[in-house]
Amino acid sequence: MFDGTRDQTALVRMEGLHKSYGAVKVLQGLDIEMKRGDRVVVIGPSGGGKSTLLRVLMGLEKVDAGNISFGGRPYITVRNGKTVIDTEVRRSIGMVFQHYTLFPHLSVLQNLVLAPCKVNGEGTASAKARAQALLDRFGLGARAGAYPAQLSGGQKQRVAIARALMLDPKLMLFDEVTSALDPELVAEVEQVMLELAAQAMPMVIVTHDMWFARNIASRVIFCAGGVVVEDGPPEQVLGKPIHERTREFINRVFHIRA
Amino acid sequence: MDYVLDLGAVTRHFGPLLEGLWVTIQLTLAANAMGLVLGFAVALLVLSPVRLVRLPAVAFVEFFRCTPAIVQIVWFFYCVPMLFNLYLGSMTMGILALGLNLAAFNGEAYRAAIQAVPREQRDAAVALGLSPLQSTLHVILPTALRLAMPVLLTNGIVIFQQSALVAIVAVPDLMYEAKSLATKTYRPIETFTLVALVYFAVSFPVSQVVGWLERRRAVAMA
Repeated sequence: MFDGTRDQTALVRMEGLHKSYGAVKVLQGLDIEMKRGDRVVVIGPSGGGKSTLLRVLMGLEKVDAGNISFGGRPYITVRNGKTVIDTEVRRSIGMVFQHYTLFPHLSVLQNLVLAPCKVNGEGTASAKARAQALLDRFGLGARAGAYPAQLSGGQKQRVAIARALMLDPKLMLFDEVTSALDPELVAEVEQVMLELAAQAMPMVIVTHDMWFARNIASRVIFCAGGVVVEDGPPEQVLGKPIHERTREFINRVFHIRA
Repeated sequence: MDYVLDLGAVTRHFGPLLEGLWVTIQLTLAANAMGLVLGFAVALLVLSPVRLVRLPAVAFVEFFRCTPAIVQIVWFFYCVPMLFNLYLGSMTMGILALGLNLAAFNGEAYRAAIQAVPREQRDAAVALGLSPLQSTLHVILPTALRLAMPVLLTNGIVIFQQSALVAIVAVPDLMYEAKSLATKTYRPIETFTLVALVYFAVSFPVSQVVGWLERRRAVAMA
């Protein structure tokens, strides 16, 4: 598999990303450079392009213009108006979604081993052993045989994270993974993400949970109107934002009058 | 009412009725085999991004959905032999007519189920590196087939009932035998009531299974 950690250039470089759905321009020239070990939290108003940014980065959406390189290697480019995705690079990125993350017809263990066996041709026995070890680590060892419908929302998201980790990703994307959870289940999912952070897993996280953002981010990006408005350490962007637009948003989120 | 029930009139002629039921069951099974396989192909064609492939399939589905089954059967029985110089025996013609009708309805059931698989499931498959074929085989179809199952079963049981229509084109099914028996014995109440009960006795358990599957699915998809 393509190893994005070998050379010392930026991990991800996004340049001039443009994307529209019909007349609605969602990304309008987005430039982000991400270093290794960066844990980027993306915040911003709805429709500001946060989720689209993650979906583009995962290779799930076409773009109208711009390019992305990963570990110094071209990943997504636009040629003659067509989006070209290097699927080998894409396989080194993992993603967890807000809803319907697990495959309902497969048990937890089968969810974990599907891609390693089908995509990487790993043997079932070895994949199952790795899967069981990961589940044990996340406190889910006893649920290996359960089906997604038998799990709580928090357990489902933790399994989804484990499933993505089975492919040894060089970058993990989290798209509002706790937004649909009951409040008392949020912490167990965030705990797993903090563990990954402690192991220096590069991440891009879209969340509305500002407390969590402050705790996990090495860097916060405020996206609005399809561009990066402010980009800096969490203390700056969440605490003392420089840009007026960021300040307005942060104040509204924290219910503080400006 | 001075009609005196004589169940003996029917029970004495059980033989033909049983033979009729056997023909009805054969019609149903054959039409379902055809409808399940052909319907799946129809769904794939209807979902094709290529217009030239999609449009004929859509036309096929709409034709069968928008004309009465009885007209389809009569048309098939009388017009196909004249137009194509093709006559295959009343039973085969009956199976073909019912099977094509079912293929159209099952095609819609498969299509709706495939489209009902949440987009996130496809996205998750892509994010895990599965190819489009792998994602279809291992993620979309297993879920879609489960979603389609109750509708496919319902359609199957509807065809069991609709198969009574082939009696008018001289296929000796349950309804055909019932009509001749009622005419022969002058016992329409006994005969048709019994036949209605037979249709009910076969359909009702299947509709219960459909209800059970739907309740189970409601839990599984949560």
